[in-house]
Amino acid sequence: MTYPANLKYSKDHEWVLIEGDKARIGITAYALEQLGDVVFLELPEEGDSFDAGVSFGTIESTKTVSDLYMPVSGKVTAVNNDIADDLEGLAASPYDKGWLITASIGSLPDDLMDAAGYESYIKEQE
Amino acid sequence: MSAEADDKKTALYGQHQSLGAKIIPFSGWLMPVSYEGVVAEHKKVRSDCGVFDVSHMGEISVRGPGAAAFLQHLTINDINRLTQPGMGQYTAMLNPAGGVIDDLIIYRLGDDDYLLCVNAANIQKDFNWIRENRPEGEVLITNESDFWSQIAVQGPNSARVLGSLLSAADRETFNHLEYMQIMPVEREGQRLWLARTGYTGEHGYELYLPDDLAVGVWQALLEGGAAPIGLGARDTLRLEACYLLYGNDMNDSVTPLEAGIGWVVRWDCGPFIGSGILQGQKADGAPRKMVAFTMIDKGIARQHMTVYAGEKPIGEVTSGSFLPSLNQAAGLALVENSSVKPGDTIGVDIRGKRKLAKVVKRPLYSAKVK
Repeated sequence: MTYPANLKYSKDHEWVLIEGDKARIGITAYALEQLGDVVFLELPEEGDSFDAGVSFGTIESTKTVSDLYMPVSGKVTAVNNDIADDLEGLAASPYDKGWLITASIGSLPDDLMDAAGYESYIKEQE
Repeated sequence: MSAEADDKKTALYGQHQSLGAKIIPFSGWLMPVSYEGVVAEHKKVRSDCGVFDVSHMGEISVRGPGAAAFLQHLTINDINRLTQPGMGQYTAMLNPAGGVIDDLIIYRLGDDDYLLCVNAANIQKDFNWIRENRPEGEVLITNESDFWSQIAVQGPNSARVLGSLLSAADRETFNHLEYMQIMPVEREGQRLWLARTGYTGEHGYELYLPDDLAVGVWQALLEGGAAPIGLGARDTLRLEACYLLYGNDMNDSVTPLEAGIGWVVRWDCGPFIGSGILQGQKADGAPRKMVAFTMIDKGIARQHMTVYAGEKPIGEVTSGSFLPSLNQAAGLALVENSSVKPGDTIGVDIRGKRKLAKVVKRPLYSAKVK
Protein backbone atom coordinates (compact mmCIF):
# COMPACT_ATOMS: atom_id res chain seq x y z
CA MET A 1 0.00 0.00 0.00
CA THR A 2 1.39 3.42 -0.89
CA TYR A 3 0.26 6.72 0.56
CA PRO A 4 0.03 9.94 -1.46
CA ALA A 5 2.98 12.22 -0.72
CA ASN A 6 0.92 15.42 -0.90
CA LEU A 7 -1.17 14.46 2.16
CA LYS A 8 -0.62 14.61 5.91
CA TYR A 9 -1.76 11.76 8.15
CA SER A 10 -3.06 11.47 11.70
CA LYS A 11 -2.48 8.64 14.17
CA ASP A 12 -6.22 7.96 13.94
CA HIS A 13 -5.77 7.10 10.24
CA GLU A 14 -7.34 10.18 8.72
CA TRP A 15 -5.61 11.98 5.88
CA VAL A 16 -5.69 15.72 5.30
CA LEU A 17 -4.88 17.76 2.23
CA ILE A 18 -3.81 21.21 3.37
CA GLU A 19 -4.17 24.13 0.96
CA GLY A 20 -3.57 27.40 2.77
CA ASP A 21 -6.23 27.62 5.50
CA LYS A 22 -8.41 24.97 3.85
CA ALA A 23 -8.31 21.26 4.62
CA ARG A 24 -9.80 18.34 2.74
CA ILE A 25 -10.19 15.30 4.99
CA GLY A 26 -10.68 11.58 4.47
CA ILE A 27 -9.79 8.14 5.82
CA THR A 28 -6.76 6.12 4.75
CA ALA A 29 -6.77 2.92 2.69
CA TYR A 30 -5.08 1.20 5.63
CA ALA A 31 -8.01 2.07 7.94
CA LEU A 32 -10.52 0.91 5.33
CA GLU A 33 -8.71 -2.39 4.96
CA GLN A 34 -8.74 -2.89 8.73
CA LEU A 35 -12.46 -2.16 8.91
CA GLY A 36 -13.47 -4.58 6.16
CA ASP A 37 -16.70 -3.97 4.25
CA VAL A 38 -17.91 -0.48 5.08
CA VAL A 39 -21.71 -0.40 5.22
CA PHE A 40 -22.54 2.96 6.80
CA LEU A 41 -20.99 6.38 7.02
CA GLU A 42 -22.30 9.17 9.24
CA LEU A 43 -20.93 12.62 8.44
CA PRO A 44 -21.37 15.99 10.17
CA GLU A 45 -23.33 19.00 8.91
CA GLU A 46 -21.82 21.92 7.13
CA GLY A 47 -21.04 24.61 9.72
CA ASP A 48 -20.24 22.18 12.57
CA SER A 49 -16.99 22.96 14.38
CA PHE A 50 -14.63 20.42 15.89
CA ASP A 51 -11.38 20.41 17.84
CA ALA A 52 -8.55 18.28 16.55
CA GLY A 53 -8.82 14.68 17.75
CA VAL A 54 -12.59 14.91 18.29
CA SER A 55 -15.06 12.60 16.54
CA PHE A 56 -16.72 14.27 13.55
CA GLY A 57 -18.59 11.17 12.37
CA THR A 58 -18.71 7.41 12.40
CA ILE A 59 -17.85 4.67 9.95
CA GLU A 60 -19.36 1.22 10.30
CA SER A 61 -18.32 -2.07 8.81
CA THR A 62 -20.38 -5.25 8.98
CA LYS A 63 -18.91 -5.99 12.39
CA THR A 64 -17.70 -2.79 14.04
CA VAL A 65 -18.32 0.91 14.34
CA SER A 66 -15.42 3.36 14.51
CA ASP A 67 -15.24 7.08 15.07
CA LEU A 68 -13.80 9.43 12.49
CA TYR A 69 -11.45 11.87 14.21
CA MET A 70 -10.66 15.39 13.08
CA PRO A 71 -7.00 15.60 12.07
CA VAL A 72 -7.13 19.41 12.46
CA SER A 73 -9.38 21.78 14.37
CA GLY A 74 -11.82 23.76 12.30
CA LYS A 75 -15.27 24.40 10.88
CA VAL A 76 -16.85 22.10 8.29
CA THR A 77 -17.30 23.92 4.97
CA ALA A 78 -18.49 21.03 2.79
CA VAL A 79 -19.66 17.44 3.28
CA ASN A 80 -19.35 14.72 0.66
CA ASN A 81 -22.81 13.25 1.16
CA ASP A 82 -22.57 11.49 -2.22
CA ILE A 83 -19.90 9.16 -0.89
CA ALA A 84 -22.14 8.12 2.03
CA ASP A 85 -24.41 6.60 -0.62
CA ASP A 86 -21.50 5.12 -2.60
CA LEU A 87 -19.42 3.20 -0.09
CA GLU A 88 -17.81 1.09 -2.80
CA GLY A 89 -16.56 4.36 -4.25
CA LEU A 90 -15.02 5.18 -0.88
CA ALA A 91 -13.14 1.88 -0.82
CA ALA A 92 -12.04 2.25 -4.45
CA SER A 93 -10.87 5.85 -4.19
CA PRO A 94 -10.22 6.88 -0.57
CA TYR A 95 -7.98 9.87 -1.40
CA ASP A 96 -9.88 11.33 -4.31
CA LYS A 97 -13.56 10.58 -4.88
CA GLY A 98 -13.74 9.33 -1.27
CA TRP A 99 -13.00 12.61 0.52
CA LEU A 100 -15.34 13.09 3.50
CA ILE A 101 -15.38 16.76 4.45
CA THR A 102 -13.60 20.03 3.85
CA ALA A 103 -12.91 22.41 6.70
CA SER A 104 -11.50 25.86 7.33
CA ILE A 105 -8.49 25.21 9.52
CA GLY A 106 -8.49 26.66 13.04
CA SER A 107 -5.21 25.12 14.06
CA LEU A 108 -2.93 22.32 12.95
CA PRO A 109 -1.76 19.78 15.51
CA ASP A 110 2.00 19.23 15.47
CA ASP A 111 1.83 15.42 15.35
CA LEU A 112 0.54 15.07 11.78
CA MET A 113 2.81 12.77 9.78
CA ASP A 114 3.99 12.79 6.20
CA ALA A 115 3.50 9.70 4.02
CA ALA A 116 6.81 8.09 5.04
CA GLY A 117 6.12 8.80 8.71
CA TYR A 118 2.63 7.30 8.44
CA GLU A 119 3.95 4.20 6.71
CA SER A 120 6.43 3.52 9.51
CA TYR A 121 3.71 4.32 12.10
CA ILE A 122 1.55 1.58 10.57
CA LYS A 123 4.44 -0.88 10.63
CA GLU A 124 4.86 -0.19 14.36
CA GLN A 125 1.15 -0.94 14.87
CA GLU A 126 1.37 -4.35 13.23
CA MET B 1 -9.13 -7.69 20.66
CA SER B 2 -5.82 -9.34 21.31
CA ALA B 3 -5.08 -13.01 21.03
CA GLU B 4 -4.42 -14.76 24.29
CA ALA B 5 -1.67 -17.30 24.62
CA ASP B 6 -4.11 -20.03 25.58
CA ASP B 7 -6.55 -19.48 22.69
CA LYS B 8 -6.94 -22.82 20.94
CA LYS B 9 -6.35 -23.50 17.26
CA THR B 10 -8.55 -25.77 15.19
CA ALA B 11 -7.05 -28.46 12.95
CA LEU B 12 -7.68 -26.02 10.06
CA TYR B 13 -5.83 -23.05 11.54
CA GLY B 14 -2.93 -23.40 9.10
CA GLN B 15 -5.39 -23.47 6.19
CA HIS B 16 -6.93 -20.18 7.32
CA GLN B 17 -3.50 -18.59 7.62
CA SER B 18 -2.43 -19.65 4.16
CA LEU B 19 -5.75 -18.37 2.74
CA GLY B 20 -4.96 -14.97 4.25
CA ALA B 21 -7.90 -14.96 6.65
CA LYS B 22 -8.38 -12.23 9.21
CA ILE B 23 -8.22 -14.20 12.47
CA ILE B 24 -9.78 -13.21 15.79
CA PRO B 25 -10.13 -14.77 19.24
CA PHE B 26 -13.66 -16.14 19.65
CA SER B 27 -14.93 -18.17 22.61
CA GLY B 28 -11.40 -19.26 23.47
CA TRP B 29 -10.46 -20.13 19.87
CA LEU B 30 -8.51 -18.37 17.14
CA MET B 31 -11.07 -18.33 14.34
CA PRO B 32 -11.26 -16.84 10.83
CA VAL B 33 -13.67 -13.87 10.80
CA SER B 34 -13.31 -13.23 7.06
CA TYR B 35 -11.24 -14.12 4.01
CA GLU B 36 -12.40 -12.07 1.01
CA GLY B 37 -14.81 -9.84 2.93
CA VAL B 38 -18.04 -10.38 4.85
CA VAL B 39 -20.41 -9.14 2.14
CA ALA B 40 -18.81 -11.14 -0.70
CA GLU B 41 -18.69 -14.28 1.47
CA HIS B 42 -22.31 -13.82 2.52
CA LYS B 43 -23.45 -13.53 -1.10
CA LYS B 44 -21.39 -16.56 -2.11
CA VAL B 45 -23.30 -18.72 0.36
CA ARG B 46 -26.68 -17.37 -0.80
CA SER B 47 -25.87 -17.92 -4.48
CA ASP B 48 -23.40 -20.82 -4.64
CA CYS B 49 -21.53 -22.71 -1.92
CA GLY B 50 -19.42 -21.80 1.10
CA VAL B 51 -17.43 -23.85 3.57
CA PHE B 52 -17.00 -22.89 7.23
CA ASP B 53 -14.62 -24.14 9.91
CA VAL B 54 -16.88 -24.51 12.92
CA SER B 55 -14.60 -26.83 14.86
CA HIS B 56 -14.92 -24.61 17.91
CA MET B 57 -18.44 -25.99 18.42
CA GLY B 58 -18.73 -28.64 21.12
CA GLU B 59 -19.82 -32.27 20.91
CA ILE B 60 -21.08 -34.17 23.93
CA SER B 61 -22.01 -37.84 23.69
CA VAL B 62 -24.82 -39.31 25.79
CA ARG B 63 -25.05 -43.09 25.56
CA GLY B 64 -26.63 -46.01 27.36
CA PRO B 65 -30.03 -47.57 28.04
CA GLY B 66 -31.16 -44.54 30.05
CA ALA B 67 -30.03 -41.96 27.49
CA ALA B 68 -33.41 -41.17 25.89
CA ALA B 69 -35.23 -40.84 29.20
CA PHE B 70 -32.44 -38.65 30.56
CA LEU B 71 -32.45 -36.33 27.52
CA GLN B 72 -36.24 -36.10 27.72
CA HIS B 73 -35.82 -34.78 31.28
CA LEU B 74 -32.95 -32.46 30.29
CA THR B 75 -34.25 -30.85 27.06
CA ILE B 76 -37.38 -29.06 25.85
CA ASN B 77 -38.10 -30.84 22.56
CA ASP B 78 -39.54 -34.38 22.45
CA ILE B 79 -36.61 -36.79 22.18
CA ASN B 80 -39.05 -39.58 21.25
CA ARG B 81 -39.62 -37.88 17.91
CA LEU B 82 -36.18 -39.19 17.00
CA THR B 83 -37.82 -42.54 16.29
CA GLN B 84 -34.76 -44.12 14.73
CA PRO B 85 -30.99 -43.60 14.39
CA GLY B 86 -30.14 -40.96 11.80
CA MET B 87 -32.61 -38.34 12.99
CA GLY B 88 -31.84 -35.02 14.68
CA GLN B 89 -33.65 -32.11 16.31
CA TYR B 90 -33.08 -28.56 17.45
CA THR B 91 -33.69 -28.17 21.18
CA ALA B 92 -32.50 -26.41 24.34
CA MET B 93 -31.55 -27.10 27.93
CA LEU B 94 -33.07 -24.88 30.62
CA ASN B 95 -32.26 -24.08 34.21
CA PRO B 96 -35.05 -24.53 36.80
CA ALA B 97 -36.07 -20.88 36.28
CA GLY B 98 -36.71 -21.59 32.59
CA GLY B 99 -33.64 -19.68 31.35
CA VAL B 100 -31.74 -21.15 28.42
CA ILE B 101 -28.48 -22.85 29.44
CA ASP B 102 -27.78 -23.59 25.80
CA ASP B 103 -29.50 -24.28 22.50
CA LEU B 104 -28.26 -27.35 20.72
CA ILE B 105 -28.91 -30.02 18.14
CA ILE B 106 -29.29 -33.62 19.26
CA TYR B 107 -28.61 -36.39 16.75
CA ARG B 108 -29.55 -39.99 17.36
CA LEU B 109 -26.56 -41.93 16.05
CA GLY B 110 -27.58 -45.37 17.34
CA ASP B 111 -30.36 -46.95 19.40
CA ASP B 112 -29.01 -45.62 22.70
CA ASP B 113 -26.39 -43.27 21.28
CA TYR B 114 -26.98 -39.51 21.05
CA LEU B 115 -24.63 -36.73 20.01
CA LEU B 116 -25.26 -33.23 21.36
CA CYS B 117 -23.84 -30.36 19.31
CA VAL B 118 -23.44 -27.36 21.65
CA ASN B 119 -22.12 -23.80 21.47
CA ALA B 120 -18.38 -23.29 21.85
CA ALA B 121 -18.65 -20.81 24.71
CA ASN B 122 -20.88 -23.21 26.68
CA ILE B 123 -19.06 -26.53 26.36
CA GLN B 124 -17.83 -26.75 29.95
CA LYS B 125 -21.01 -25.24 31.41
CA ASP B 126 -23.15 -27.71 29.46
CA PHE B 127 -20.97 -30.70 30.28
CA ASN B 128 -21.07 -29.85 34.00
CA TRP B 129 -24.85 -29.34 33.91
CA ILE B 130 -25.45 -32.62 32.10
CA ARG B 131 -23.26 -34.54 34.55
CA GLU B 132 -24.87 -32.91 37.60
CA ASN B 133 -28.30 -34.01 36.40
CA ARG B 134 -27.49 -37.50 35.17
CA PRO B 135 -29.28 -40.50 36.60
CA GLU B 136 -27.38 -43.25 38.40
CA GLY B 137 -25.45 -45.66 36.25
CA GLU B 138 -27.56 -45.83 33.08
CA VAL B 139 -25.87 -43.24 30.89
CA LEU B 140 -22.33 -42.54 29.79
CA ILE B 141 -21.62 -38.86 29.23
CA THR B 142 -18.46 -37.92 27.30
CA ASN B 143 -17.17 -34.54 26.23
CA GLU B 144 -15.87 -35.36 22.75
CA SER B 145 -15.27 -31.73 21.73
CA ASP B 146 -11.50 -32.15 21.44
CA PHE B 147 -11.92 -35.17 19.19
CA TRP B 148 -14.21 -33.70 16.52
CA SER B 149 -13.51 -31.10 13.89
CA GLN B 150 -16.60 -29.58 12.34
CA ILE B 151 -17.01 -28.23 8.81
CA ALA B 152 -20.21 -26.66 7.49
CA VAL B 153 -20.99 -26.74 3.75
CA GLN B 154 -23.77 -24.32 2.91
CA GLY B 155 -25.50 -22.89 -0.15
CA PRO B 156 -27.66 -23.91 -3.13
CA ASN B 157 -24.74 -25.84 -4.66
CA SER B 158 -23.68 -27.57 -1.43
CA ALA B 159 -25.23 -30.92 -2.38
CA ARG B 160 -23.22 -31.04 -5.61
CA VAL B 161 -19.94 -29.93 -4.02
CA LEU B 162 -20.18 -32.26 -1.03
CA GLY B 163 -21.77 -35.13 -2.95
CA SER B 164 -18.81 -35.32 -5.32
CA LEU B 165 -16.55 -36.26 -2.39
CA LEU B 166 -18.59 -39.29 -1.41
CA SER B 167 -18.38 -42.92 -2.46
CA ALA B 168 -21.16 -44.14 -4.77
CA ALA B 169 -22.78 -46.06 -1.91
CA ASP B 170 -22.68 -43.10 0.47
CA ARG B 171 -23.95 -40.76 -2.26
CA GLU B 172 -27.08 -42.87 -2.68
CA THR B 173 -27.96 -42.32 0.99
CA PHE B 174 -26.81 -38.70 0.80
CA ASN B 175 -29.14 -37.92 -2.10
CA HIS B 176 -32.12 -38.95 0.04
CA LEU B 177 -30.96 -37.33 3.26
CA GLU B 178 -33.71 -35.09 4.62
CA TYR B 179 -33.43 -31.89 6.63
CA MET B 180 -32.13 -32.61 10.17
CA GLN B 181 -31.06 -36.17 9.31
CA ILE B 182 -27.54 -37.49 9.85
CA MET B 183 -25.60 -40.33 8.18
CA PRO B 184 -22.24 -42.01 8.72
CA VAL B 185 -19.67 -41.68 5.94
CA GLU B 186 -16.47 -43.70 5.47
CA ARG B 187 -13.30 -41.87 4.47
CA GLU B 188 -9.75 -43.21 4.66
CA GLY B 189 -10.94 -46.04 6.87
CA GLN B 190 -12.44 -43.67 9.42
CA ARG B 191 -16.01 -42.74 10.22
CA LEU B 192 -17.30 -39.23 10.00
CA TRP B 193 -20.86 -37.98 10.39
CA LEU B 194 -22.72 -35.92 7.82
CA ALA B 195 -25.83 -34.00 8.87
CA ARG B 196 -28.18 -32.01 6.68
CA THR B 197 -28.48 -28.85 8.70
CA GLY B 198 -26.86 -25.47 9.06
CA TYR B 199 -26.92 -21.93 10.39
CA THR B 200 -27.32 -19.89 7.22
CA GLY B 201 -30.89 -20.38 5.96
CA GLU B 202 -29.61 -22.18 2.87
CA HIS B 203 -29.63 -25.84 1.90
CA GLY B 204 -26.55 -27.24 3.57
CA TYR B 205 -24.65 -29.77 5.60
CA GLU B 206 -22.45 -30.05 8.67
CA LEU B 207 -19.68 -32.61 8.92
CA TYR B 208 -18.36 -34.03 12.18
CA LEU B 209 -14.98 -35.50 11.47
CA PRO B 210 -11.87 -36.67 13.32
CA ASP B 211 -9.24 -33.92 13.42
CA ASP B 212 -6.83 -35.75 11.11
CA LEU B 213 -9.40 -35.85 8.28
CA ALA B 214 -10.21 -32.14 8.51
CA VAL B 215 -7.49 -30.71 6.26
CA GLY B 216 -8.08 -33.22 3.45
CA VAL B 217 -11.86 -32.70 3.43
CA TRP B 218 -11.48 -28.90 3.66
CA GLN B 219 -9.13 -28.81 0.69
CA ALA B 220 -11.32 -31.15 -1.35
CA LEU B 221 -14.34 -28.91 -0.74
CA LEU B 222 -12.41 -25.82 -1.87
CA GLU B 223 -11.21 -27.69 -4.97
CA GLY B 224 -14.83 -28.65 -5.60
CA GLY B 225 -15.78 -24.99 -5.87
CA ALA B 226 -16.74 -23.96 -2.33
CA ALA B 227 -15.43 -20.63 -1.04
CA PRO B 228 -14.09 -20.32 2.53
CA ILE B 229 -16.48 -18.31 4.73
CA GLY B 230 -15.61 -16.70 8.05
CA LEU B 231 -17.53 -16.12 11.25
CA GLY B 232 -18.49 -12.59 10.10
CA ALA B 233 -20.66 -13.86 7.26
CA ARG B 234 -21.86 -16.75 9.41
CA ASP B 235 -23.33 -14.12 11.73
CA THR B 236 -25.01 -12.03 9.00
CA LEU B 237 -26.37 -15.19 7.33
CA ARG B 238 -27.87 -16.55 10.53
CA LEU B 239 -29.30 -13.18 11.50
CA GLU B 240 -31.12 -12.82 8.18
CA ALA B 241 -32.64 -16.26 8.77
CA CYS B 242 -33.42 -15.12 12.37
CA TYR B 243 -31.56 -18.06 13.85
CA LEU B 244 -30.67 -17.16 17.40
CA LEU B 245 -27.13 -16.70 18.68
CA TYR B 246 -26.55 -17.82 22.24
CA GLY B 247 -24.97 -15.04 24.27
CA ASN B 248 -26.61 -12.39 22.08
CA ASP B 249 -30.26 -13.29 21.67
CA MET B 250 -30.60 -15.53 24.69
CA ASN B 251 -28.82 -16.44 27.88
CA ASP B 252 -29.49 -18.00 31.26
CA SER B 253 -32.18 -15.42 32.05
CA VAL B 254 -34.17 -15.60 28.79
CA THR B 255 -36.79 -18.34 28.35
CA PRO B 256 -37.44 -20.12 25.03
CA LEU B 257 -40.86 -18.46 24.81
CA GLU B 258 -39.28 -15.03 25.15
CA ALA B 259 -36.58 -15.93 22.62
CA GLY B 260 -39.19 -16.97 20.08
CA ILE B 261 -38.40 -20.68 19.99
CA GLY B 262 -41.63 -21.75 21.65
CA TRP B 263 -42.27 -23.98 18.62
CA VAL B 264 -39.50 -26.27 19.91
CA VAL B 265 -41.17 -26.84 23.28
CA ARG B 266 -43.10 -30.07 23.81
CA TRP B 267 -46.15 -29.29 25.92
CA ASP B 268 -47.80 -32.66 26.47
CA CYS B 269 -45.07 -35.31 26.74
CA GLY B 270 -44.07 -34.96 30.36
CA PRO B 271 -42.11 -32.47 32.43
CA PHE B 272 -38.52 -31.38 31.87
CA ILE B 273 -36.19 -29.09 33.77
CA GLY B 274 -37.78 -25.62 33.61
CA SER B 275 -41.14 -26.80 32.22
CA GLY B 276 -43.17 -25.41 35.14
CA ILE B 277 -42.05 -21.86 34.39
CA LEU B 278 -42.81 -22.31 30.71
CA GLN B 279 -46.32 -23.61 31.44
CA GLY B 280 -46.93 -20.47 33.48
CA GLN B 281 -45.61 -18.21 30.71
CA LYS B 282 -47.73 -20.05 28.15
CA ALA B 283 -50.85 -19.44 30.24
CA ASP B 284 -50.16 -15.87 31.33
CA GLY B 285 -47.84 -14.60 28.59
CA ALA B 286 -44.07 -14.28 28.83
CA PRO B 287 -42.72 -10.94 30.10
CA ARG B 288 -40.77 -10.30 26.91
CA LYS B 289 -40.70 -11.37 23.28
CA MET B 290 -38.24 -11.38 20.42
CA VAL B 291 -39.04 -9.16 17.45
CA ALA B 292 -37.24 -8.57 14.18
CA PHE B 293 -36.81 -5.05 12.87
CA THR B 294 -35.46 -3.25 9.84
CA MET B 295 -34.02 0.27 10.07
CA ILE B 296 -36.03 3.13 8.58
CA ASP B 297 -33.46 5.82 9.38
CA LYS B 298 -29.85 5.46 8.38
CA GLY B 299 -27.65 3.78 10.95
CA ILE B 300 -27.03 0.30 12.28
CA ALA B 301 -28.60 -0.85 15.53
CA ARG B 302 -26.17 -2.99 17.52
CA GLN B 303 -26.42 -5.35 20.47
CA HIS B 304 -27.49 -3.75 23.81
CA MET B 305 -28.84 -0.53 22.26
CA THR B 306 -32.08 0.55 23.95
CA VAL B 307 -35.36 0.16 22.05
CA TYR B 308 -38.26 2.62 22.52
CA ALA B 309 -41.96 2.63 21.74
CA GLY B 310 -42.62 6.35 21.63
CA GLU B 311 -40.72 7.70 24.64
CA LYS B 312 -40.95 4.48 26.64
CA PRO B 313 -37.96 2.13 26.77
CA ILE B 314 -39.27 -1.36 26.03
CA GLY B 315 -36.13 -3.47 25.69
CA GLU B 316 -32.88 -3.78 23.82
CA VAL B 317 -31.34 -4.94 20.58
CA THR B 318 -29.88 -8.44 20.94
CA SER B 319 -28.35 -8.71 17.45
CA GLY B 320 -27.99 -6.03 14.79
CA SER B 321 -25.96 -5.62 11.66
CA PHE B 322 -26.00 -4.56 8.07
CA LEU B 323 -27.54 -7.54 6.27
CA PRO B 324 -26.20 -8.07 2.75
CA SER B 325 -29.10 -9.99 1.15
CA LEU B 326 -31.60 -7.45 2.48
CA ASN B 327 -29.16 -4.68 1.59
CA GLN B 328 -30.17 -2.85 4.75
CA ALA B 329 -29.53 -2.71 8.46
CA ALA B 330 -31.77 -4.91 10.59
CA GLY B 331 -31.76 -7.06 13.68
CA LEU B 332 -33.51 -8.72 16.59
CA ALA B 333 -34.68 -7.08 19.79
CA LEU B 334 -35.99 -8.47 23.07
CA VAL B 335 -38.88 -6.22 24.14
CA GLU B 336 -41.80 -6.10 26.57
CA ASN B 337 -44.34 -8.61 25.35
CA SER B 338 -47.36 -6.38 24.75
CA SER B 339 -45.40 -3.35 23.56
CA VAL B 340 -45.16 -3.62 19.78
CA LYS B 341 -46.21 -5.79 16.83
CA PRO B 342 -45.15 -6.13 13.19
CA GLY B 343 -45.81 -2.90 11.32
CA ASP B 344 -45.17 -0.68 14.35
CA THR B 345 -42.39 1.89 14.41
CA ILE B 346 -39.81 1.70 17.18
CA GLY B 347 -36.91 3.94 18.14
CA VAL B 348 -33.37 2.72 18.73
CA ASP B 349 -30.85 4.78 20.67
CA ILE B 350 -27.77 4.70 18.45
CA ARG B 351 -24.99 6.46 20.33
CA GLY B 352 -27.30 9.09 21.78
CA LYS B 353 -29.46 9.63 18.72
CA ARG B 354 -32.94 8.20 18.33
CA LYS B 355 -33.22 6.36 15.00
CA LEU B 356 -36.45 4.89 13.68
CA ALA B 357 -36.94 1.25 12.79
CA LYS B 358 -39.91 -0.88 11.79
CA VAL B 359 -40.97 -4.07 13.51
CA VAL B 360 -41.33 -6.83 10.90
CA LYS B 361 -42.36 -10.46 10.87
CA ARG B 362 -39.61 -13.02 11.36
CA PRO B 363 -37.66 -14.25 9.54
CA LEU B 364 -35.93 -11.41 7.70
CA TYR B 365 -34.90 -13.91 5.00
CA SER B 366 -36.95 -17.02 4.21
CA ALA B 367 -34.86 -20.13 4.78
CA LYS B 368 -34.41 -22.54 1.89
CA VAL B 369 -33.30 -25.47 4.00
CA LYS B 370 -36.03 -28.03 3.25
